[in-house]
Amino acid sequence: MATPSSPPPSSPPDEKPQNLASELAQPTNEIQQHAREEAPKQSSPSVFVNSEPMREEQVQNAVKFLSHPKVRGSPVMYRRSFLERKGLTKEEIDEAFRRVPDPPPSTQATGTNQEAQVISTSNVQPPAQTQALQPAAAAPTGAISSAGTLMRFRFHWYHIVFAVGLLAASGAGTTVLIKNAIIPRLKSWIRKVILEEEEEEKEDPVKKANAKPSLAEEAAAAAKAAAAAAADVAKASQEMLNSKSEERRHFKEFMNLLDVQVQEMKSMSTAIRKLEGQTNNLGRTSLVDQEDYTPSVANHPKQTYVNGKAESDSRSVRSLSAPASAEPSVAPHPKSYMEIMAMVQRGERPANIRDINDQPPNPNQQISNTRLAPKSKPWEASKSLNNSSQALQSQVNGEDLNSKVQDNGVTYQFDGESAIPWWQRKNARITEIENEDELKDGHYGARTNEQPIQRTWVPPQPPPVAMPEAVEAIRRPKSSVQKEQLAEDQSVSHSTDVTDELQRITKISESGGAVEVNGGGLEPNSIEIKEVQEHSSEEN
Amino acid sequence: MPIFKTPFNGYSVKFSPFYESRLAVATAQNFGILGNGRVHVLALPPSPSLPLSELVAFDTADGVYDLAWSESHDSLLVAAVADGSVKLFDTALPPTQNPLRSLQEHTREVHSVDYNPTRRDSFITSSWDDTIKLWTLDRPASIRTFKEHAYCVYSAAWNPRHTDVFASASGDCTVRIWDVREPGSTMIIPGHDFEILSCDWNKYDDCLIATASVDKSIRVWDVRSYRAPIAVLNGHGYAVRKVKFSPHHRNLMVSCSYDMTVCMWDFMVEDALVGRYDHHTEFAVGLDMSVLVEGLLASTGWDELVYVWQHGTDPRAS
Repeated sequence: MATPSSPPPSSPPDEKPQNLASELAQPTNEIQQHAREEAPKQSSPSVFVNSEPMREEQVQNAVKFLSHPKVRGSPVMYRRSFLERKGLTKEEIDEAFRRVPDPPPSTQATGTNQEAQVISTSNVQPPAQTQALQPAAAAPTGAISSAGTLMRFRFHWYHIVFAVGLLAASGAGTTVLIKNAIIPRLKSWIRKVILEEEEEEKEDPVKKANAKPSLAEEAAAAAKAAAAAAADVAKASQEMLNSKSEERRHFKEFMNLLDVQVQEMKSMSTAIRKLEGQTNNLGRTSLVDQEDYTPSVANHPKQTYVNGKAESDSRSVRSLSAPASAEPSVAPHPKSYMEIMAMVQRGERPANIRDINDQPPNPNQQISNTRLAPKSKPWEASKSLNNSSQALQSQVNGEDLNSKVQDNGVTYQFDGESAIPWWQRKNARITEIENEDELKDGHYGARTNEQPIQRTWVPPQPPPVAMPEAVEAIRRPKSSVQKEQLAEDQSVSHSTDVTDELQRITKISESGGAVEVNGGGLEPNSIEIKEVQEHSSEEN
Repeated sequence: MPIFKTPFNGYSVKFSPFYESRLAVATAQNFGILGNGRVHVLALPPSPSLPLSELVAFDTADGVYDLAWSESHDSLLVAAVADGSVKLFDTALPPTQNPLRSLQEHTREVHSVDYNPTRRDSFITSSWDDTIKLWTLDRPASIRTFKEHAYCVYSAAWNPRHTDVFASASGDCTVRIWDVREPGSTMIIPGHDFEILSCDWNKYDDCLIATASVDKSIRVWDVRSYRAPIAVLNGHGYAVRKVKFSPHHRNLMVSCSYDMTVCMWDFMVEDALVGRYDHHTEFAVGLDMSVLVEGLLASTGWDELVYVWQHGTDPRAS
């Protein structure tokens, strides 16, 4: 039921605003400069509204942007999206649109826009647009000019400069050629003629002396004229050659453009076909379309617990170093994903898909009443520091344990008298964090964080241990178990001090917690957790 | 810690707001490219060394990208399906009587669904057709359609305190704040230079919102001064797929990423990365923190596994 005005995104439209941005040097720079401005805040009834006044500078930059001929040809949606991404508010964008004189033509097909982008990004000679300069290239220009009116504006003066340069170069070339090649030959020919005349002069000095010099002169004059004509001809032929080669180049460009267009149309038609028949595959890869798929080598074997998945697909090592650039780098996809993508893009349907009828069997089925009343959220209740008390507030009522609904007969049995299931948090580590957090309020400011450290939970402060002897006393009754722990502890004592501290601290808190609730009952669980801590600290 | 192996690739996991030990998983065949889908309703076992048990499963013709439990009804579940439909399931009824409703209005894949936690009567769906739709369970058609984004809307999230406000994250690199009482969006935050895949509100400070993007970073914004983020969290190796604020702590949040890890952050601290879990062997795509049990996390990914663990423990331990 979507409105039909949205343009069909056949290729990621993100490219287009970015391409527009790259073309327009001046307005975007200005916009970017002002995008980081802090705007004054005013109190308003709703916090979720832009309460800033309209920024005139931003509006003017936007007007400049919108008035640019290149932008005129793009769909309105992309212009809006571009301005939004630059940080303009709705009011500013609307004002800018109001100020731009001509309503932008919305019928510009996205296909031509794409072609214009393709041309602009490739550094190829501009196709000839103005026919005054290139009379020989009339036919291809006629065809190319239909491809995009924008190109004419863009390449107009470039083209003039280039053509003039080309003519000058060809003229210079021919003159050089003539100087070096033809004139020496002419000179030598003239010299030869004159020599012959001199010889004949000796025989018939009078008459031939008169005739020959004039003849020679005439000959020389004729030769000069011929030379000049030849030079002209050479020039003209050079020009012809150049224009022909240029024509060839244009033609090649044109063919490439056509090929590109054909490709795009092919892809669009396949997309449409797929849309009609099945679900759209190309669209689902919108998330990953931005990234290229690079083949990568697997050298990071991981344990899988369920089955040894043989299709441990090829992927690259996760880099743990800080990502310095914000560019979206390639997320290596599993090999089977690539295979399925390739299959689907060829038009094949994976074999494992079943025909499922997932329509409601009874569309008018009444929705039953709920069996439970909605529970209040932890953030709605008290805002006190002691949120852990809420967590420990046992919601293990009868309905949870013996779920009436679709119960597979699992009843929860706990070791000991405690009714707290294993997934409830047992110790008060979180409260320590919270105390810390409350002290640290006011640490606002953009904080960039790098270097992910692989470690598990590290409490910021050790719990207050008033009497270490008491801790020992507590430990002793479970000596059989704790000795194990201590032994393991010593084995990893080579690790950093932090982790040592961590283990001691957590052991204390663990044992402390266990003693409070139920020493024997929760012991197996607490051991597991400690072992986990050991395991994870070893991994560090 | 208990795990569950799904036959299809995992896409989303959500804890039930009514039952501590219950969660639902959305899966899609063939990585969601083309294939069927399935919704699993799982229960936590009595002991962490046992696997999760499946209570019921629903099959769909197309992949399920996201789901949301109803906040008003303990057994209702809304699924966002790749064929553009929004399906309502009653987990108390057998699969033969499901789905209760199939709402077909979106023209492209529905990528996310979120249930209003305060009003409890409505939910929003966001789709690759650039729109967000507002629905209630009792109506057969959407109440409103919000169409402003220029590209796929990957995520939409209700504000936990203001019943009529929600945010949407889109591939057009902006986050928009909406008020259902207003005709259009009320704020536009140009959050990242690349696609924004997820957004979530802070549960304890109604003006803070976190965004996760393809540029591998998570940014925390205060809507009152949205020109610059409050915090930028780097540390993921690839695009961050999902971010979620903790329901129990103001400063904590979790995120999952294409670098196959799940990370926990404290954005108020200088060294914000507080925990890192690398249990998945494929893209980690779905993530949830339990509202009823503090510190309980669940994640799923394209490696077809669902993990549930307490923060601070090893998800792969048993």
